[in-house]
Amino acid sequence: MLRAVATLFLIGGFGQPVFAGVYLSGDFDGLSWHVMGADLVSSISLVQLGAAVAVWIRVRRAWPFWASLGLLVGVSAQYVAGMEGALWLHLPLGVALIAGIAIVVAALWMRPLPRRRKEVRTDG
Amino acid sequence: MAEPISRRRLLGIGAVLGAVAAGGLALSAAWARRPAETGDQLVSEVPLPQAFTIPLPLPQVLEPVASAAEGDRYEMVQVETEAEILPGYSTRLWTYNGTFPGPTIESRRGRHVTVAHRNELPVPTVVHLHGGRTPASSDGYPTDLVLPQDWSETAGHGHGGHMADDLAVVTNVQREYGFPLDQRAAMLWYHDHRMDFTAPAIWRGLAGLHFVRDDVEDALDLPRGDHEVPLMIADRAFDSDGQLKYPSLDPTLTGEIGVEERFTAGVLGDAVLVNGAPWPVHEVDSGLYRLRVLNASNARHYELEAVTDTGRRLPLVQIGADQGLLAAPVRHERLPMAPAERYDLLLDLGELPVGSKVRLANRLGEGRMKDVMQFHVVRAGRRAAIPETLATDLPEWDRSEAVAVRDFAFRAGRMNGRHGWVIDGLPFDPNRTDVTTRLGDVEVWRLIADVHHPVHLHLVGFRVLSRGGGAPLPHDAGLKDTIALRPGESAEIITRFDGYRGRYLFHCHNAEHEDMGMMANLEVT
Repeated sequence: MLRAVATLFLIGGFGQPVFAGVYLSGDFDGLSWHVMGADLVSSISLVQLGAAVAVWIRVRRAWPFWASLGLLVGVSAQYVAGMEGALWLHLPLGVALIAGIAIVVAALWMRPLPRRRKEVRTDG
Repeated sequence: MAEPISRRRLLGIGAVLGAVAAGGLALSAAWARRPAETGDQLVSEVPLPQAFTIPLPLPQVLEPVASAAEGDRYEMVQVETEAEILPGYSTRLWTYNGTFPGPTIESRRGRHVTVAHRNELPVPTVVHLHGGRTPASSDGYPTDLVLPQDWSETAGHGHGGHMADDLAVVTNVQREYGFPLDQRAAMLWYHDHRMDFTAPAIWRGLAGLHFVRDDVEDALDLPRGDHEVPLMIADRAFDSDGQLKYPSLDPTLTGEIGVEERFTAGVLGDAVLVNGAPWPVHEVDSGLYRLRVLNASNARHYELEAVTDTGRRLPLVQIGADQGLLAAPVRHERLPMAPAERYDLLLDLGELPVGSKVRLANRLGEGRMKDVMQFHVVRAGRRAAIPETLATDLPEWDRSEAVAVRDFAFRAGRMNGRHGWVIDGLPFDPNRTDVTTRLGDVEVWRLIADVHHPVHLHLVGFRVLSRGGGAPLPHDAGLKDTIALRPGESAEIITRFDGYRGRYLFHCHNAEHEDMGMMANLEVT
């Protein structure tokens, strides 16, 4: 579940610069796509946080929660920066978010989470 | 993965990535201009005068040389002159009739005005009446040159971007511009619009005001006489001789076009001139004032606010936009203003004691650019009410009437192998028709900007339908002819292309952008 959500997050995340590029190249509708993408990515970010909570509870892995929380904070800031036209923040933060999402996806797929608890460890 | 990566290494990688991301954001926060500013600032090489010491000059109103039933005739000479802008320095200017700003023309709606311009400058000129509903032959198309005496054709063709234009109507030394002025009362302005060299020509002083009055305005009993104050705001910089400084590639303005690479985004000065005087002071009474404000700067944006010496902010009551009166006043604490925009404002000084000072400040400026001018209340005035309803003749157009919806991207690009500015990827070419529309058609235009672009349409006024996908901003009210787009911003505008058929323009009114390609042809058929 968490892997699936994180992968969707990544796909949605990569869509955003595409829409921004379409918009700035002169297609006005690109802006609506970019806004819809922002809504979608924000929602996915929230869902991922929920899934990460479940993972924390069920298999005692905390890092996905903290990573998802960090991304949610970043995505929210990105949303506000975009609406405010603060491009100095919006552009580098966008790149950082894509990198962060990609790392979480890679970590989730590279290191399978334990099926159930093997040892008690406070991770993260 | 057989062997999981050690926790220590993972934390290390995470820390490095986090540090890089944080460092990038911090770098951006420190380096990027907040608020954004499009252009690069020149630095004057002479000491600039203390603010609020020089009295505000008021441009003189030009008398017609002939008045008849069919209209008024004016004459102007475009001439180089010297003026004392900075105390103790004599600055060479290019002027209309020897003054900067040029003389003001006062006209009535529907009463024909003819202005005969005589070019005694060393370069060709073109006069455009910004905001005028003008037949194409008098609209000042950039290649409709008025050549100076003894102008040799070859001298005019340097290695710049000059393009042959078969449709150009070139005259020698003199040209009569005819303005029917069948339009709402508004403050227009006239300025040079020559192909490739508009920005330096305006910088050197070729700009003046032109008022249109009508019965709608008269009926409102707005402040008039010395309580109606025109304010032409323009930034400039000065070299070590007190001459105007400008980074032209060819200072004779005859050959290579454009400015030094660093100034591609626009030329900003470090002195604010109002009506040609640096940071002036204007003596007023404690009455109601009508300020007719024009941002005649090449590239600088302002965000105006009126602050008293006790730190109180007075509302700037907007009663009109580029193309005349609003339906109802809009009160602003701060008012953003892009190049070529005009605002018609009421400033109520009624509650201030005699002796008060009100600073017209610029929230977007840094250092001395934070100040624009000062009003000094020197006597008691008559209180006057601010009318709560204004004009009822504002045109309304609905999206459903639009026969075309067009998208235009204003962004950086290449022109003549150098950095420039383009509309939908193309730099200006007089021989290419970019938009063809039928006389009387209503259209919606969706304008998208990469950096600040004040977009101006000739011939028509428009209404702002939306900005950034949302509602228009308070200062988008009324009928406009120039709309300021901020970086990454877009807006939808609606207008009816009526008035006259012919070849017109739309362009970015950052004058440097305009010279470096950001202009396109609008053919009304």
